[in-house]
Amino acid sequence: MTTTTLARTAARVVDAVKVYGSGDTAVRALDGVSVDFPAGRFTAIMGPSGSGKSTLMHCAAGLDTLTSGAAHIGDTELGRLDDRRLTLLRRDRIGFVFQAFNLVPTLTVAENITLPLDLAGRRGDPEWIDALIDVVGLRDRLHHRPTELSGGQQQRVAVARAFAGRPEVVFADEPTGNLDSRSGGEVLGLLGRAARETERTVVMVTHDPVAAAHADEVVFLADGRLVDRMTAPTADKVLDRMKAFEVPS
Amino acid sequence: MNASVRLSASSLRAHKRRFAGTFVAVFLGVAFLAGTLVMGDTLRASFDNMFGNATSGTDAVVRSADAITTPGESEGVREPVAADLADTVEQVPGVAAAEPSIEGAGQLVGRDGDPIGGQGPPTLAGNWITDEKLNAYRLDEGRAPEKSGEVVVNRGTAERGDLSIGDTTTLRTPDPVKVTIVGLATFGGEDGMAQVTYTGMTRADAEKYLTARPGEAATILVRAGPGVSQQELVDRLTPALPQGVEAITGQESAEENTDMISGQFLSVFTTFLLVFSGVALLVATFSIHNTFAIVVAQRTRENALLRALGASRRQVTASTLVEATAVAVTASLAGLAGGIGIAAGLQALFPAIGFPFPEGDLVISGVSMALPLAVGVVVCLGSALLPAVRAGRTAPLAALRETAVDTSGASRARAITGLGLAALAVGITLNGVLVSPNIWLAGLGAVLALAAFVVLGPVASTTAIRILGGPLGRLRGVTGGLARRNALRSPKRTAATAGALMIGVAVVSLFTVFGASLKATMDQTVSRSFAGDVAVSAPSFGAGGSGLSPRLAEAVQDLPEVDTAVGLGRGVAEVDGKGRALTVTDPAALERTFDLGEIRGSLNDLGTTGIAITEKEADKHHLTTGDKTRLTFTDGSTQTFTVRAVYGQSELAGDYVITRSAWAPHRTQDADTLVAVSFADGVSTDAGKTAVEKAAADYGNPEVQTRDEYAQSSAGAIDMMLTLVYALLALAVLIALLGIANTLTLAIHERTRELGLLRAVGQTRSQLRAMVRWESVLVAAFGTTGGLALGAFLGWVLVKASDGASDSAFAFAMPPLQLLVVALVGLTAGALAGLRPAKRAARLDVLRAIATE
Repeated sequence: MTTTTLARTAARVVDAVKVYGSGDTAVRALDGVSVDFPAGRFTAIMGPSGSGKSTLMHCAAGLDTLTSGAAHIGDTELGRLDDRRLTLLRRDRIGFVFQAFNLVPTLTVAENITLPLDLAGRRGDPEWIDALIDVVGLRDRLHHRPTELSGGQQQRVAVARAFAGRPEVVFADEPTGNLDSRSGGEVLGLLGRAARETERTVVMVTHDPVAAAHADEVVFLADGRLVDRMTAPTADKVLDRMKAFEVPS
Repeated sequence: MNASVRLSASSLRAHKRRFAGTFVAVFLGVAFLAGTLVMGDTLRASFDNMFGNATSGTDAVVRSADAITTPGESEGVREPVAADLADTVEQVPGVAAAEPSIEGAGQLVGRDGDPIGGQGPPTLAGNWITDEKLNAYRLDEGRAPEKSGEVVVNRGTAERGDLSIGDTTTLRTPDPVKVTIVGLATFGGEDGMAQVTYTGMTRADAEKYLTARPGEAATILVRAGPGVSQQELVDRLTPALPQGVEAITGQESAEENTDMISGQFLSVFTTFLLVFSGVALLVATFSIHNTFAIVVAQRTRENALLRALGASRRQVTASTLVEATAVAVTASLAGLAGGIGIAAGLQALFPAIGFPFPEGDLVISGVSMALPLAVGVVVCLGSALLPAVRAGRTAPLAALRETAVDTSGASRARAITGLGLAALAVGITLNGVLVSPNIWLAGLGAVLALAAFVVLGPVASTTAIRILGGPLGRLRGVTGGLARRNALRSPKRTAATAGALMIGVAVVSLFTVFGASLKATMDQTVSRSFAGDVAVSAPSFGAGGSGLSPRLAEAVQDLPEVDTAVGLGRGVAEVDGKGRALTVTDPAALERTFDLGEIRGSLNDLGTTGIAITEKEADKHHLTTGDKTRLTFTDGSTQTFTVRAVYGQSELAGDYVITRSAWAPHRTQDADTLVAVSFADGVSTDAGKTAVEKAAADYGNPEVQTRDEYAQSSAGAIDMMLTLVYALLALAVLIALLGIANTLTLAIHERTRELGLLRAVGQTRSQLRAMVRWESVLVAAFGTTGGLALGAFLGWVLVKASDGASDSAFAFAMPPLQLLVVALVGLTAGALAGLRPAKRAARLDVLRAIATE
């Protein structure tokens, strides 16, 4: 079983280049990155500030377009899609957890969870959603508004929403950036559990070695390039690897 | 530069777009106001100038001293003077020339057979005054009339009727007279005195057709000899005049004429326009207030930072107010320029639609510039005051709060205050309308009702949008649901945005309901009291038209198809010192074609000393059949009449009825206003109508109408008025639309991150656009519903108050179709207002939206 999941990639980028601006002020945020995100695994993208990790995630998730190279979700090449198809792809095949402001304030917790499904006009799988609600532990908050929840609870709702439509990949952008370590730990544990128990692919951008340690594998980015990969990470190992970046070589 | 000013200047620069809506709202209101004032001044000056020019040769006017004015008329009726008084006057030392001026109504028929004019401005006829300086009209082409049947007409009238020198046509005086045009004249250098038509005939013809008795004239125009001033002339004339005749200076006479035109036409016209600029500005107030409130709310973080850094409350408040002042002054100044542009445009437009706007420069007075400027600035600053104070109150630590759902509008105190106000409004109104009819009380109630609506707005908006948006969620799924939630986010803001539209729609509905009620009233009047089969009436309202020949009724009576034809003429007399309109007719025939309700006594044999009056007047003067009452006529004579009959319904027949023979000694130009005809048994309406039309053809071809047509034609004027009202109110609705669009744009700016999130998790652009548009429609639906309710209520109050205040019964009618159209216009307006903000929202870049701090 392990071999089959490893053989499939849920998302990948090939020779990804992203340039912001032009002329003298041009910044190469991504400088020829190629990386696969295997299906059914929890991958963390690490790197110092300005390493291009967020840009990589945005491009891989179809939120941003590459200057050159290609990004794939499953067998679909994102560069060929127009705005509408990209939107539909995000809606039907991808889940998102952002650092903050994940929820629509006018909708209740339950409505926020099913938002992508509602936008698609689908009913989704009630048993699946029911199970998700139990996993994130928010059954007693379903009819609350986001403003009535703590930051950690809000992020847990966002995680539930990301998984509600059974997406192929869930992208998380610094999901614990605004949380204290206890709530952060809860959210990360949740992401990992959701990935493993539901066999979903999760890609998380973070700069926090403790967060990265929850992943199955860590890819390291620096100056827009892929510099290393690490399986079975621990916080200490990741920290050591990160320290290496700061030493001028 | 001080800190507050610098802050507001940079804020204005940074947020040009936010203030565009406020700018436009102030601009439109001020431009409309200034344009109205400038146009009013210009018109007044032009008329002054024109009358001054036209009558500069007349130094004194001799006329009857007393005038009888009936309610609803600005110009009294005067008894004529003897025409040969001119000879006496001419003997007075210092008089160079004196000529009688005979004036009456005369309507020319154009080349196509239709009468010229008669829809408002007077259609005048008179003797062509041979002394060039005394004549207000100047011969421009051709010659003066010399033989009977020859006339001079003013150039404007000739052009409208496609007539030229040598043409023969009909002049209705109201008896049709064959006339040949021999000359064209101008008035004060213009083609005519506005839309007034003028026909000048020989003195003999004028005496024959325009006066009741030969040898009478309306006035005697006098020219002074060299070195005699107007006042000296009047002083010398006065001793030479008989009892009851007075002399006034030419200047006074010109002023009276100008005042009359101003009073009848200009002040009505300008008041009308001023009311609408008032409505436009009121609507603008809502929009402006809303813009500032939102801007301040959005800047909470910025203001908090300023306060944390040590800015005082006053500095923060001042910076907002300075910003408002800058917008107010620029928009108002631009509005002044726009107003002058509007006036200039109208000056150019009026002649194009056949209304000869007198030429001349625009009169731009200090008042007509200062007033709109002041109003614009005050409205703008007043609207910004509350938000500015709120800005100053920002707590330094109120920084990192997420603007999410604000339900502060729906407080209990507000609900209680609003309901109290509403109850008070309804109570006062009902009292003013039903219990003890009092128009002021009703008016106060109406104002309170408006206030209650404004206070209750935020409370009502939540409930109303839940209800209105209910079907939306089901029909449009999550897009509709989100739109509904967004509209519910800030009840205060939603209410203020909708408030602007609400007022616009309320005024439109008010006029719609009132207009429909007027029509229903006329319909009811005709169907209740007109028992005849057809009516012949001169198509006119206001002072225009020449009425119908009194001989028409006789001619129609002679037709075999006709049972009864009765002509109704109009006379005036004073009863108990107050001017009253008299109906001059054959009372016995009147009873057969009109339903007069219950009659006590008899309408037969009123003779020359009998009078019939309505129950209402009889009660007022404590009269009953057999009692005597005294009437004073314009000739100063007083006659005692015996009340022979008291009848119930006055509507078409009038309050006082006397016979033709009783009126004959006091009459001026003889004309009927209406001939009512009932057919003999077995005559179909079509056959009867054709016969009457044939007979009427000899009398200048007046219109013959069946009962229904007659009722409808009376309503035609109301439709015309309503069209004008709607055109003007379109401006208010436009401002309201700008307000909605502005609020939405600002709201979208506020929700950038949320919109980005929605897009990221899969909302398509078209879903996003639909969401914004539906929100706009919902807000508009709330405003429209409120406006319809308020407008219908105020319409009801107006109708009931008029009913209580006037003599005749007023019917109340709700026109469902028109109100439905108003509702649809409101909703469409909402959808249109949402278009641009929706487009802008959809263009939003997803990544940037998520990253927005």
